[in-house]
Amino acid sequence: MPRALEAERITVQFGGLVAVNDVSLALDTGQIVGLIGPNGAGKSTLFNALTGYAKARRGTVRLFGSNVERLPPYARARRGMGRTFQIERPFEGLTVLENVLIPAFLRHANRAEAEAAAMHALELVGLSDRAVQPSSDLNLARRRRLELAKALAVQPRVLFLDELMAGLNPPALKEMIGFVRSLADSGIAIVMVEHIMQAVTELCEEVIVLAFGEKIAHGAPQQVMNDPRVVEAYLGGADE
Amino acid sequence: MTGSPDRGPDAGAGPPPAAPSAAPGPASRALTPWLERGGAPWLGLAGVAAAGAAWYVVFPSSLSLGIGLLLLAGWASAWDLLGGWTGQTSLGHAAFVGLGAYVVGVTATKYGLAPWWSVLLAMALAAVLAFLWGRITFGLRGSYFVLSSIAVAEILRLIAINERKLTGGAIGLFIFDLDRPFGLDLFSRHTEFWLALGYLLLVLATTLLVTRGKLGYQMRAVREDEASAQAAGINPVSVKSLAFMLSAALTALGGCIYGIFLSALQPQPLFELHLSVRIALVAIIGGRGTLFGPLIGAAMLTLAGELFRNAFAEANLLIYGLLIVIVVLFVPRGLMGELRRRAVRRRYAKSAGG
Repeated sequence: MPRALEAERITVQFGGLVAVNDVSLALDTGQIVGLIGPNGAGKSTLFNALTGYAKARRGTVRLFGSNVERLPPYARARRGMGRTFQIERPFEGLTVLENVLIPAFLRHANRAEAEAAAMHALELVGLSDRAVQPSSDLNLARRRRLELAKALAVQPRVLFLDELMAGLNPPALKEMIGFVRSLADSGIAIVMVEHIMQAVTELCEEVIVLAFGEKIAHGAPQQVMNDPRVVEAYLGGADE
Repeated sequence: MTGSPDRGPDAGAGPPPAAPSAAPGPASRALTPWLERGGAPWLGLAGVAAAGAAWYVVFPSSLSLGIGLLLLAGWASAWDLLGGWTGQTSLGHAAFVGLGAYVVGVTATKYGLAPWWSVLLAMALAAVLAFLWGRITFGLRGSYFVLSSIAVAEILRLIAINERKLTGGAIGLFIFDLDRPFGLDLFSRHTEFWLALGYLLLVLATTLLVTRGKLGYQMRAVREDEASAQAAGINPVSVKSLAFMLSAALTALGGCIYGIFLSALQPQPLFELHLSVRIALVAIIGGRGTLFGPLIGAAMLTLAGELFRNAFAEANLLIYGLLIVIVVLFVPRGLMGELRRRAVRRRYAKSAGG
């Protein structure tokens, strides 16, 4: 049985700068892996390399056993990679429902079916009562949920969440943690870049710590947080 | 011409918000749900057809002006599929107008081809040209597509000037004789008026159907945010190419009618940048990415041009300039774009408050 996602020895370079160096990562269906590290550690770049938005110089990415590292982002999405963006990107001119309708069309060519699927995704994240609202009118917490609904509408098997929790107030955070947990329980493999440690410790069985583009620790959240190298990366580096 | 409803096709897009509870009057009982389900734009289309017919009856001496208005509205609506709904501004759509006109002219005078075949040929050629042109330029970012669009129309103009054997060069080409489909005289202004009206309605109906379906939403996704569109599994280059091909073929169809209307084809007005700019401007002023915006823009510019032609003679360009400045400053979404935005908000406020 191939793993849901298997990335090996990913290296991303921007000119002379090595943004991600030789990082590997793998997870199974239903598993949540956290990707943490100080700002500028290469988390988002690794994310972009896995989802196709950044070009990896070296390394392979396998989605359920088939290689996708040469595919553009849209082709990876069609094969079951869903993602959210750190700065949420609703389709501004459209309503909330239309925003989710667009990814829903990927799996349903028929308008009525796509609309039903979009509505279902909105219900999952608790936004169905906002369906006809212009998406530009949503507040931050709801924009995040819309972002999640859009990612869910492509029916992902592996889901990438880029700082989905950032800036949420405690009740919204708690709710979002609940959503993500239920998604994993429904059989989606999830990789999350996250700064909110509460979310990481509550959700992830496994955490990967990046610093200066290198993987410096890998393990259970508690174990990793006590790793002296991780503590140094967060607190010690004078140039951080 | 301005009697269209103030709702773009978007306004009827979502499902009715939890069935409005206000009891409709007996007469509107059947009509209201149909309007809610998105029937309103079709009503608008019927209004356009009626207004066109009214023009024919009321202004029988201004048929040429009407033909010009209808064709411009059709081109601008076709342009809008790419420029408004997909967000790729083209300043080269005169290329397709000229292509359509010349294909009809050349095939009729040199090969005696019946116009209905040359129309299909023109649309196919326009789609192929758009496909190739898109393949080369849609990979580029920023304003490169706009620049390339100017160049392509210019290349076609030079071809038309220099391929004398085919096109008659700078002197041009005269269409003397055309087959008569169903006994219709295509050189009669009356026939041409109805053809132009039918053409505009065809473009509007195509736009309405396309923008309500999968392709239409993919076009809007690409316009709003390409990265996010990719995350939704959309290949932006394919979507832009499809929109461009459709836009080009429809523009060329109008070009065919225009060629017959002119009968004397010359490279200068047909492939000129001025025409390309006019098509784009009309759509921008009326409201990009709205069903009736380009038509409203075409009507405004054409009628304003007529009104001021006597008063200011050569000041037409000045009025163009003023209109553009006013629109850019005060209604950047265009007239229909602004109206639609308000309609969407009103609708939401109603559903939230009710």
